Amino acid sequence: MLTAGSHVISISDFSRADLIAVLDRAAAMERNPGRPLDGRLMATLFFEPSTRTRLSFEAAMLKLGGRVIGFSDAASSSAKKGESLSDTIRMVERYADVIVMRHPRDGAARLAAQVSRVPVINGGDGANQHPTQTFLDLYTIAQEFPELRSGDRELVVAFAGDLRYGRTVHSLLHALCHFRVRVLLVAPRGLEMPADHLDHARAAGLQVEVLPDLQTAAERADVLYMTRLQEERFPDPLEFDHIKATYRISAATLAKAQPRLRILHPLPRVHEIATDVDATVHASYFTQAANGIPVRQAVLATVLGA
Amino acid sequence: MSDIPTASHGRNRMVEAIANGTVIDHIPAAVTLKVAALVSGPDDQVFIGQNLRSARLGRKGVVKVSGRLLTGRDLQTLALIAPGASICIIRNYEIAEKRPVGVPDLFEAIARCANPNCVTNHERWPTLFDVTHRDPLLVRCRYCERTVPAADLALLPR
Ligand SMILES: [Zn+2]
Repeated sequence: MLTAGSHVISISDFSRADLIAVLDRAAAMERNPGRPLDGRLMATLFFEPSTRTRLSFEAAMLKLGGRVIGFSDAASSSAKKGESLSDTIRMVERYADVIVMRHPRDGAARLAAQVSRVPVINGGDGANQHPTQTFLDLYTIAQEFPELRSGDRELVVAFAGDLRYGRTVHSLLHALCHFRVRVLLVAPRGLEMPADHLDHARAAGLQVEVLPDLQTAAERADVLYMTRLQEERFPDPLEFDHIKATYRISAATLAKAQPRLRILHPLPRVHEIATDVDATVHASYFTQAANGIPVRQAVLATVLGA
Repeated sequence: MSDIPTASHGRNRMVEAIANGTVIDHIPAAVTLKVAALVSGPDDQVFIGQNLRSARLGRKGVVKVSGRLLTGRDLQTLALIAPGASICIIRNYEIAEKRPVGVPDLFEAIARCANPNCVTNHERWPTLFDVTHRDPLLVRCRYCERTVPAADLALLPR
């Protein structure tokens, strides 16, 4: 459930109705945000740095009339002095109306939510979850493709890149299980989608196809969700160079794509999307990033009961 | 035929009968000693039967804990490592109650999470696993959300 007082920890906590409610509220925020959070205080506890996520939450809060306190890296926090996470939360919940937290450990946000009497919003816990990223991914898809919500046509969503460690693709895949979607997967050997996520998607009724190359995926998809390949995942630098060259979208490789294809990427991109894609009709990743504001405004206003 | 010899049966007794306490039977032979170590406190009298013949399991183990009932923690431990075992409560050499160990819906604070980056391995905080599948037994960490075979979990010391 996502309502006043809710914690926002994991995409698996939310139903289709919850997701739709976030999309609706985010659309309303884009039209007319107002200042419903006047006088409310948000604490951003960033135990590891993530400038992008922190700025997006802070901008969302400030634009709704709220205020912000917090820290942006563990070195300046009490965790450095050995304070337990639960003690930090017990202190901060007495200052703030809502806590946004990013932490390097998997499950840290769930622990915080068990301690806190004010809503905790997970801004990323290790490799585990980052639910507001998933909300904004979904919002971007729904904006471009009304059939996601209506179900009038099966939407084809391709995921490409590091599907094994990419937390954003796992969460989005789970969210898409609530909709009429066909999923295409393209990953280098060793970075394939883990079996438990695949099983979950298939059990939920999604059609899932594994494709050998990015080109085919780009030609068939409505949405191409790209992720960054991280060099440290490849023990062999030569292999990384080879894969890097293969997992790259450029204006030329999109020549045969459907006009309606939209490319998403959680950003920052490195080599996987050439800059000549930016000017094409397909590039939706900057809109996607901008959608972080109305989506996070929607989440903040909802959990604060405004 | 019961696999548990008792004084009243008068048959060949493979493991010392206890007057009062708990008998854990039908333990897979490979984990008998582990079960014995995990359910026995420092002052408990414990009898162990290893590699006994069993129609159901081929070879099985029996562990008898004299003088007390199993704690909730003991039962959760058993459910993790020997979910198919059975438990008999003995009063005055007689079986007063017999039931399968069974699997609870969740395991609380008895095992470490197998994910090294799980917050429960870095904060002083009890672990919590929800059972997601019973055969084979799979559990999902409430914190890091990883699903692992229960057999892969490392039990915490008593
Ligand atoms: Zn865990």
